[in-house]
Amino acid sequence: MTDSEGALNILVVEDHIGDYILIEDYLSEEHLQINLTRATTFKEAKDNLSVNHNFKVVLLDLSLPDVESNEDLVTGMVALAPNTPIIVLTGFSNKQFGVKTLSLGISDYLLKDDLNSTQLAKSIFYSIERKNNDFKLGESERKYKALFDSSPLPMWVLDKHTLEFLNVNDAAIDLYEYSKEEFLGMNVRDLWTKDIRKEIEFTWKENYHENFGITVKHLKKNGELLHMEIKSNPIDFDGREARVTQAKDITAQLDAEQALKHSEKRFKALVQDASDLIMIMDFSGELSYVSPSSSQMTGISDAEMIKNNFFHYIHKNDVKSVKSHLLKLKDNKRIQIPSYRIKTSDKKWRYIETIITNLNDDSSVKGLVANSRDITEFITQEKKLIHSLKRYDIVAKATSDTITDYDVVNDKMYYNEGIESVFGYSKSEIENTGSWWNEKLHPEDRERVKRYSQQVQKLTSGYIHIEYRFRCADGSYRYILDRSYLVTDESGNKLRIIGAMQDITEIQNYIQTIEDHNSRLKDIAWTQSHVVRAPLARIMGLIDLIQSYPNIDEQAQLLEHINTSARELDDIIRNITRKTEDVTLNPKEC
Amino acid sequence: MLKVLIIDDDDIVRLVQSKLLQNCNFTKEPLKFKRASDAVEYLNSASIEHHYLLMLDINMPMMNGWEFLDEVERMEVKENVYVLMVSSSVDYNDKEKADKYDKIINFIEKPITAKNCEQLKELSILKPFFPEPI
Repeated sequence: MTDSEGALNILVVEDHIGDYILIEDYLSEEHLQINLTRATTFKEAKDNLSVNHNFKVVLLDLSLPDVESNEDLVTGMVALAPNTPIIVLTGFSNKQFGVKTLSLGISDYLLKDDLNSTQLAKSIFYSIERKNNDFKLGESERKYKALFDSSPLPMWVLDKHTLEFLNVNDAAIDLYEYSKEEFLGMNVRDLWTKDIRKEIEFTWKENYHENFGITVKHLKKNGELLHMEIKSNPIDFDGREARVTQAKDITAQLDAEQALKHSEKRFKALVQDASDLIMIMDFSGELSYVSPSSSQMTGISDAEMIKNNFFHYIHKNDVKSVKSHLLKLKDNKRIQIPSYRIKTSDKKWRYIETIITNLNDDSSVKGLVANSRDITEFITQEKKLIHSLKRYDIVAKATSDTITDYDVVNDKMYYNEGIESVFGYSKSEIENTGSWWNEKLHPEDRERVKRYSQQVQKLTSGYIHIEYRFRCADGSYRYILDRSYLVTDESGNKLRIIGAMQDITEIQNYIQTIEDHNSRLKDIAWTQSHVVRAPLARIMGLIDLIQSYPNIDEQAQLLEHINTSARELDDIIRNITRKTEDVTLNPKEC
Repeated sequence: MLKVLIIDDDDIVRLVQSKLLQNCNFTKEPLKFKRASDAVEYLNSASIEHHYLLMLDINMPMMNGWEFLDEVERMEVKENVYVLMVSSSVDYNDKEKADKYDKIINFIEKPITAKNCEQLKELSILKPFFPEPI
């Protein structure tokens, strides 16, 4: 049985020579190669075992001359050869003690009277084997203990049935801040938060004899909350049914996850609840995300909108412009597409403005992010404004009015083109100040205009209506009818004076001409009526004379006078007609 | 007695008026003056024993009717002078001006007719010079 292992070295501690020879005989019957070393005293045995030895087994007789107590002898021998099996050979009278020696670390005990070769060989073989196994077991236990004690993860051993702590490692002590003694007086349930008890009891009972893993919430000694991921499996712990648990603190990990969730939620809220329309697409306009605000802006739900290409919604006259802007993204990270139209669910158009950011490189987006704003109201207002300005310009042109806009606060005067076309000032000559304008007023009118405008400005708002003469670039004056409106804020502060300077020089000249005509014609009429009356009165007098006195002498002479006077009258009337025509045709010469 | 003076620059007017006055028995020999200055000269040497009726044109060259009236005011015979203003066309201003001269007994627009002469005779201030034929 032991042949294969080569020579078997045995120390025989036996003072009695007869017994020693007997043992030698028994052994030689079973073993071919054995080296026996004999020690007759404890001291001799001690000498042999103190140095490095290769004894596979020690046979020990309990009655030695230099040791009084058997117990001291056994204890001493076990201490000398802790890893070598010791078989005690004893007389019958010491049977009881023989049994006791087992608990002191002896491998076997044999009664000398019952001894035979087979029994001795078997005992030696088993003892060596058992000692080998014991050694291996001890090694594995040490390794296990080291693993348990120095594990960076908190570990503990619980009673399988009661869940009381049987052992905890340093990592657990560090984390939970209970001392080892405190732990050993506790039950693992003491660590659980109230809300998880039901669940964990259920899981434990479900896996009473099995491995299980679960995430739990524990409280530290100071009440601080811990999120722990635990793995628990049943073991035999020094002969007791137990569970060993390995726990991992995932509190920080969960906190980080929670923070991420919050930030995601926040981002989602921003995207989904914002009034801006947010889309993610590729360069061809294929949509991969549409924010819910699409229904608010276009009446088309996000789920519906994502089914079509982005360009599907764009007004056909705007597609080209949008595409050309999109191409700029090749060189720019971000571009802005100015106003274009997109279709709504009721087949109408909304004006939007879009900022597109290229996030193709961002692995969490992988696309172009388009952020669109509805600017329909703005465009409508702008169109109205342009329309009204255009209309005003047309009117202003038609009436040849010069439009002035005076910023009272900043003393800035703005003109339309009338200041050039009507008054002949070039752009470089015009100074945009109130004093420049004032200086152009006719000196005779300046005071009056100043007084009047001061009077109007005392009112909270006012309509100014005044005539004056305004100097042109060539030094001549034009008659102006100025209609201005004073604009004030809520508190009555003057903000602007918007005015229309109407050139009434032509009208003024015309009125003057007509007045001249009238006065001249009146003159003519008055003087000529006297001239006309003279010959007429003569004729009437002559006729009256002839009629009243039919027999009057020198009638022929009187008739000749009538004739002369009539011709004179005729001449005068012709003359008047000619002069009147002159007045009408050449007013200035009249 | 009443002497009648016709002061007018128009020859035909003087002729017509003198013939009218003769035919309606207003006066036998009316005195005719082409220039107002001549009439002034005559009246300055006229006797205050007579009364003078002047048929005075307003619009005359050199001295017009108004200037002539101013001269009359300085005459000895002024109390005995009666004036008939005669104008070819009557203007509002002239009529207003005439109110200031108490010598003006009437304002007549040319021509003076036969009918005018009969009416003149009936004026209270002139009536004494034309006794009713009995």
